[in-house]
Amino acid sequence: MQIRDYILRRLMVLPILIIGTSIIVFALTRIGGSPVGIYLSHEMTPAQVAEIEARFHLDEPVPVQYFYWISGVVRGDLGWSGVAAAPVAEVFPNKLAATMELAIASGLVAVALGIALGTIAGARRNRLPDHIIRIVAVSGASMPMFWFAILLLIVFWVNLGWFPLGRSDPNIFASIAHPTGLYTIDAILAGSFKAFVDAIWHLVLPAVALGYGATAIIARMMRSSLVEELQEDYVDAARAKGLPERLVLRRHARRNALIPTVTVIGLTFGFLLQGTVVAEIVFRWPGIGRWMAAAVLRGDQATIMIYVMFTSILFLVVNLVVDVVYAYLDRRVVLGE
Amino acid sequence: MMSEGAEKNPSKSPAPVVASVADLQVHFQSKRGIVHAVDGVSFDIHDGETLGLVGETGCGKSVTARSFLRLVPKPPGIDAGGSILFRPRTTCDACEGRGCESCHQTGRVSAGCSACSGKGCSECVQSGEETLDLMQVSNSRMRSLRGDRIAMIFQDPGKALNPALTIGSQIAEVFYQHRSAEVLDAANVDVSGIDPGSLLLKRQAAQQSRTIERTLLKIPPLRSRRNQITAAVDDMVADALAETQIANPRKIMQRYPHELSGGMRQRVMIAQALACNPDLLIADEPTTALDVTVQARILELIHELQQRRQTAVLYISHDLSLVRRICDRVAVMYAGRIVEISDADQIFQDPRHPYTRGLLAALPSATQSRGKLAAIEGTVPELVDPTPSCRFSGRCPNEVETCARFDPHLQSVGDEHSVACFIYHEPPEGSGGRPTLAARSS
Ligand SMILES: Nc1ncnc2c1ncn2[C@@H]1O[C@H](COP(=O)(O)OP(=O)(O)OP(=O)(O)O)[C@@H](O)[C@H]1O
Ligand code: SF4
Ligand SMILES: [Mg+2]
Ligand SMILES: [Zn+2]
Ligand SMILES: [Zn+2]
Repeated sequence: MQIRDYILRRLMVLPILIIGTSIIVFALTRIGGSPVGIYLSHEMTPAQVAEIEARFHLDEPVPVQYFYWISGVVRGDLGWSGVAAAPVAEVFPNKLAATMELAIASGLVAVALGIALGTIAGARRNRLPDHIIRIVAVSGASMPMFWFAILLLIVFWVNLGWFPLGRSDPNIFASIAHPTGLYTIDAILAGSFKAFVDAIWHLVLPAVALGYGATAIIARMMRSSLVEELQEDYVDAARAKGLPERLVLRRHARRNALIPTVTVIGLTFGFLLQGTVVAEIVFRWPGIGRWMAAAVLRGDQATIMIYVMFTSILFLVVNLVVDVVYAYLDRRVVLGE
Repeated sequence: MMSEGAEKNPSKSPAPVVASVADLQVHFQSKRGIVHAVDGVSFDIHDGETLGLVGETGCGKSVTARSFLRLVPKPPGIDAGGSILFRPRTTCDACEGRGCESCHQTGRVSAGCSACSGKGCSECVQSGEETLDLMQVSNSRMRSLRGDRIAMIFQDPGKALNPALTIGSQIAEVFYQHRSAEVLDAANVDVSGIDPGSLLLKRQAAQQSRTIERTLLKIPPLRSRRNQITAAVDDMVADALAETQIANPRKIMQRYPHELSGGMRQRVMIAQALACNPDLLIADEPTTALDVTVQARILELIHELQQRRQTAVLYISHDLSLVRRICDRVAVMYAGRIVEISDADQIFQDPRHPYTRGLLAALPSATQSRGKLAAIEGTVPELVDPTPSCRFSGRCPNEVETCARFDPHLQSVGDEHSVACFIYHEPPEGSGGRPTLAARSS
């Protein structure tokens, strides 16, 4: 099958999967009780409460409530977030941008660094670079993320004071326009060096905390699959052709070693998304992860719904990308079979 | 089917030596001690001949073969001594490699020794030809020989081709590595200038471009010139594939290895190995992994190309009957040593070493194939820290006490025929008795 056809076919089933997920998640959140609490205050009379319930259709059966909810989503009305005290649709894009900026930054660094470290370690197996990288990788994969994040916080913010908390300096942040919502990109677009430095400065600690584990996992996978590939006959055959070791490694072994690594990178993405919640709480990053954590604690169901919906779509897309990249790297794979 | 001996080199006068292995020792580090995988192997390969190297599994054939290209992994491998002298040839000027009278249709002529300009000196072992010790040459020189002057075909073509690259791009690498000047010539690309474009194209033709350079080469003014280079290499690759009687080379070039049959893949490997018209082709059991039906055809193809180009071939096999069909000379290896080496006809008619005799007796009949070597009683000895002794002692029907205490060495027993056994040479002073051929075992 053509790669394009495969992508189209997968994208066509996407809406069905999304609707299915939304029904399940909606039903599950309603099992936890009515979300009415988030809209109430202590001074309200029972009559007022009943009035609010009627206004939001919370007195109707759950399937009907679902119908109201989904038709709202179609119209762009994602509901009211009690935690943010604003409509979800209004808050969501900014929070999402903040989280994506963090996830993408640490994801890109983790992929690039993981592959590079894994290649170095695999190519210099059992020599000093390999041993050093192994220590880094083992510690990264086994340290709990919240612990590592707090450690970074204590050392670099409390003790040394080298890096700030939060996402930005409010004054600098306000000084530029935000067309994309990604602070670093907006700073570049605005041509403001000061804003760019501010963005990077705030990004370092949470990105390191978030990306360390993923880097370690990717590096370990890359190393072991490279070591395996380097023992294959085609590597010796490439040497027998007179290829310099650099090309043997880059053109032949590394490419094949990437195949299993790509699958792991796809899995790492979930790990990363999960980690944003911790990183955002520890470093006071104004993203959806922190918002989500608060929403769960306070029963803010409109927010929870959108978060779950969004992450499921993201996962489906990531899996699709992984499949396509995998098929591109491993020519023996026939997509759709 | 090939008739016995009819197509073999008719000339009996020894051709010049292209490679000479002397007392080669390759050991491996292991938990149990030092494995003497190759333990004092010596033989010569003459220009244009096919030398068969036979022996049971694990006797050190592949390690010997890989030593020519320095492909023995170190560690655990250890260079324990010896040398492999190699005399690389250069392309014949008169015919530019196409083959003419003066180069005996090979397209290759010997390169003069630079130290003595052809008169003969110690560096070239009085041959007057450029002589390199493959165990000692620099890594970059080794690389320039690999795939160009010495090529190798591997046992399993399914594993020796990279699954992620097209057939065409894999063969192309040989030309990029060793024929970049010819590529630029054929592509009609002028790179004589010192402008960045010429430099980029020159590096591209030698497969030295980095990712960023390849991106630059996609920009229009350079792109057409780069495409000319690619087209020229494609032509060379198609020609190389056509040599191996592949029907539709251009189509095969686009394919990935898994899309081809085993026989087809081995043809691709052969095309790749012979692309630069090497002086020495090492074929390490090239038909073992193939279907029985295609084995014969691949064997014939190697033989035919060898005859046409007069390439020297080191043909490794554990199948004696197969070796008999295509080899001019045969070396029999046992437990890291060569025990008998001779003219092929000679060794089949008059085997001397007890091991060779056992092998031949185990063959169902001289003309029937599929005789394997394992039919001798006993097992191959451990090669860990061996003491001086004939490696065949313990399995040998003619053995006497001397055999287990001293090393026999290769001794000439006739015209170009040598055997390592105390039956044929005097044991050292102070030893016990000397073995004899008690009864003709065959
Ligand atoms: N990479 C290696 N590491 C350790 N020992 C090795 C290695 N390669 C070869 N050896 C040792 O060298 C010996 C000879 O191996 P070799 O591959 O040359 O045998 P062979 O004659 O080619 O056998 P086969 O017919 O099975 O290919 C083996 O028995 C093994 O002990
Ligand atoms: S030296 Fe002795 S043991 Fe070795 S082959 Fe000859 S007779 Fe047999
Ligand atoms: Mg072998
Ligand atoms: Zn000529
Ligand atoms: Zn000389």
